Amino acid sequence: MIKVKGLTKKFGDFTAVNHISFEVNDGEIFGLLGENGAGKTTTLRMLATMLKPTEGTAEMGDFDILKEPAKVRASIGILFGGESGLYDRLTAVENITYFAELNDMDKESIKERVNYLVKAFGMEEYANRRASKLSKGMKQKVAFARAIVHNPDIMLFDEPTSGLDVSAIRGVHEFIRECKRQGKTIVLSSHSMSEVEKLCDRIGIIHKGNLVDTGTIEEFKEKYNNPNLEEIFVRLVGGKHEH
Amino acid sequence: MNIKHVWIVFKKEVKDIARDKKTLITSLLVPMIIIPLMNILVGGGVQKMQRDITENISIALSENSRTDEIKELIQNDILGNWPNIKLIDVDDPIEAIRQEVISAVLDFEKDYKEKMESGKPFTINIIYDRMKLKSEASLQMLSQAIGEFNARVVRERLTALNINPEILEPARIEHTDVADENKSSNPILIMTLPFMLGLLVVVGGIPAATDLVAGEKERNTFEPLLTTKPDRASILLGKYFTVTLFSFVSVVSIIIGFAIGYMINPNSLTMGTGTEITGFNIPTPALVLAILIAIALGMTFAGIQIALSTYARSFKEAQTYLSFLMIAAMIPGYATMFTQPADIQLVMYFIPVINTISAFKMVLSGTINYTNLLAALLSSVVYVALTLTLATSMFNKEKALFRS
Ligand SMILES: Nc1ncnc2c1ncn2[C@@H]1O[C@H](COP(=O)(O)OP(=O)(O)OP(=O)(O)O)[C@@H](O)[C@H]1O
Ligand SMILES: [Mg+2]
Repeated sequence: MIKVKGLTKKFGDFTAVNHISFEVNDGEIFGLLGENGAGKTTTLRMLATMLKPTEGTAEMGDFDILKEPAKVRASIGILFGGESGLYDRLTAVENITYFAELNDMDKESIKERVNYLVKAFGMEEYANRRASKLSKGMKQKVAFARAIVHNPDIMLFDEPTSGLDVSAIRGVHEFIRECKRQGKTIVLSSHSMSEVEKLCDRIGIIHKGNLVDTGTIEEFKEKYNNPNLEEIFVRLVGGKHEH
Repeated sequence: MNIKHVWIVFKKEVKDIARDKKTLITSLLVPMIIIPLMNILVGGGVQKMQRDITENISIALSENSRTDEIKELIQNDILGNWPNIKLIDVDDPIEAIRQEVISAVLDFEKDYKEKMESGKPFTINIIYDRMKLKSEASLQMLSQAIGEFNARVVRERLTALNINPEILEPARIEHTDVADENKSSNPILIMTLPFMLGLLVVVGGIPAATDLVAGEKERNTFEPLLTTKPDRASILLGKYFTVTLFSFVSVVSIIIGFAIGYMINPNSLTMGTGTEITGFNIPTPALVLAILIAIALGMTFAGIQIALSTYARSFKEAQTYLSFLMIAAMIPGYATMFTQPADIQLVMYFIPVINTISAFKMVLSGTINYTNLLAALLSSVVYVALTLTLATSMFNKEKALFRS
């Protein structure tokens, strides 16, 4: 369970995230929907303890991001941006193992887990090839495996499909569904309505740092009396602020 | 901070960089091969030049003095003990000097014979070319040969007059060298080795530092790393020690380079300037102190380099900052290159880079001043603390870490 409580981030005078609060139930996918510069990445970085909130806090599972940041980090996995971000000079397995070691797994369980992931993602053929020699699709799988090597309860995805081609996007979506199947609690940021509609149980619309509204997709459609989520979004975001 | 995490990061970074052929070649192989090669080539050149100048010298007689009598006088009496100088015949002696066929021309006074027989001085004019090394050297050798010839003739004349030739030598010159065999290390080595050492420590970590923070940011591996369990201090220290280690990889390889050069040709250490290195006698405590000072210098710069690499917006920017740092660090190195160990003042031991170079100069000279060494070590420790603090605060600056 994730509980975000009045989370705020200021960069100097500029408020990037303004007192946002929401909850994500166990095993749920929560979609953070917003335009460029809305504050999605900043929010997720605070949840991942990379940035210190100016105000407010959040509970990630059993741990508070301010009080026990190391334990929070140990219980989350991230996939930020479309780029896989692997160490080119390490092999696929070494990339995955490094993150397992960093998360304090012991040798035996690392071996077991890495073997399992290599099989699960079908990476046998290139498991010991250097990342620089892998195709984009292969790299993506390594990045997935790395993100969940320590079997985190919570997954944070920040625009995980940005800049990807169609088949890579499908790969990401499958991975997110697989994480859900495994019972992980998931926050996904996106500016794509269709992506959010396809994957998320509940969504929150963020605009200029403010969380404008939250609810299930059905609730949104009912509340705004419109079957088209995109139109709802434009009304909430564009309508309120641009005119 | 968690030692285990520091170790995990350190291990991975070392493995990662060790697989980077470019870095490896520049920081390991190049010093190991270039240094002995350069020393042997330069050294060989110097030795060959010295040999060339003094061996196989040809001279000729001027047209007026080209008689059998004079030839005989020169070959038997003047150059009897100088087998390296040959008298040959040439058509145009002056032109022959210019063409470097011969090095000098001897021109005897016309009535030299009468003068010599009557005990009067006669003139031998040595014609040479000051701009030619070999010609200039032959002037000295010929002057010496003629001087020896003079002394012999004088001795004969005095003996003929029944006078003891010793009268000509009121004082006899002797010299005794009291230089300590063990301390007679080579000035060239004192000049070059500490300087290179200091520079390498300063630049050695640059490729690693650029790669480990700016490079990670650019390749998008940094955010995933920061969301793993270890705290920032552990990640920073793992990287910091990697950079420190690589500051010394080049140092070690350059020392191996010197050793290889020495094994191939002992003279290469001093670039062929003679004075072979007789076993150094360096007091162990002083050497240990100097090494500690060098390690502290490596850590000091590792701190600055990590801080700059963190601050940089991109890999390119990091490279630019770090090349400026390199130049800034080289200036004091060059400035003190020619300072003799005995002339180094105490304040020098408080200045980064210079303190390390000075410490090694002192240690190589064999005359140790422990106060100065300790001053250098203490100030170095302060610099290490300062720059590590700088790196830490930069590593915790959200503005620096997440700028794009
Ligand atoms: N480190 C920083 N320093 C100053 N301002 C920042 C920083 N990071 C983000 N911002 C600003 O905060 C605002 C929110 O940025 P954020 O990256 O969270 O938006 P986003 O919703 O992820 O947008 P995008 O879709 O472009 O990724 C932007 O206006 C951005 O310029
Ligand atoms: Mg973003």
